[in-house]
Amino acid sequence: MTTALYDDIFQLVREPIDPHSLIDHVRAPEDGAIVTFDGFVRNQSHNRPTLYLEYEAYEPMALTKMRGIAAALHEKYPIHRVAIVHRLGRLEIGETSVFIAVSAPHRADAFDACRFAIDTLKRAVPIWKKEHFEDGAVWADGELPPAPVATPRAKPAS
Amino acid sequence: MAPVSQTVRVKVLFFGRLKDVVGQSEESLDFTAASTIEQLFALYSERIPQLAKYRSSVLASRNQEFAAWDAVLHSGDEVAFLPPVSGG
Repeated sequence: MTTALYDDIFQLVREPIDPHSLIDHVRAPEDGAIVTFDGFVRNQSHNRPTLYLEYEAYEPMALTKMRGIAAALHEKYPIHRVAIVHRLGRLEIGETSVFIAVSAPHRADAFDACRFAIDTLKRAVPIWKKEHFEDGAVWADGELPPAPVATPRAKPAS
Repeated sequence: MAPVSQTVRVKVLFFGRLKDVVGQSEESLDFTAASTIEQLFALYSERIPQLAKYRSSVLASRNQEFAAWDAVLHSGDEVAFLPPVSGG
């Protein structure tokens, strides 16, 4: 899925993620920087050896939220293109679960936008991981997404 | 003449640990008209008592947008109960 306006990419995939194709997609002559985030499967969780992870998503909502993140990035930062891809299903140790690439004319904006993208994804995109250990499996303790519309949080004075 | 049915048909989805607790990920349900998402969750909690303890950490969505617990359900709505997310 791409947005016509910016030519961004948002995908949920079940095959290994190819970072190079995403980097190539966001790269353009008018840019001077690409910042990427590669999130991959760690071999332990709270000092327990992990065997593998399983990811699942509320797919249509997750894609909508990923598109929303990209829209927010374009609003907040002078960036060029965004690619956000998350993998679902079973992932082995060391495999990439999420890859984000942001291109911009200048590096500071690309760094800031990429950080914002992964932080927001981890908080607001309906994706869950189950950690499989030698002695069983548990759903990871997740982060609470932003409060829903009817109970807006107070904004700190700026 | 048969009385007008005072129900709405909603699709209910469970994810993550809630799916394990409920034992299924998706169900279509006829539910009392003018009910809220809160009442829908309460119905499942009656059926599956261990679900109640997740209420404070769960968020709800209606038609793929985060929704307030007092949101009223309409026929054709897709409601999902979402545990704290852990992607990335």
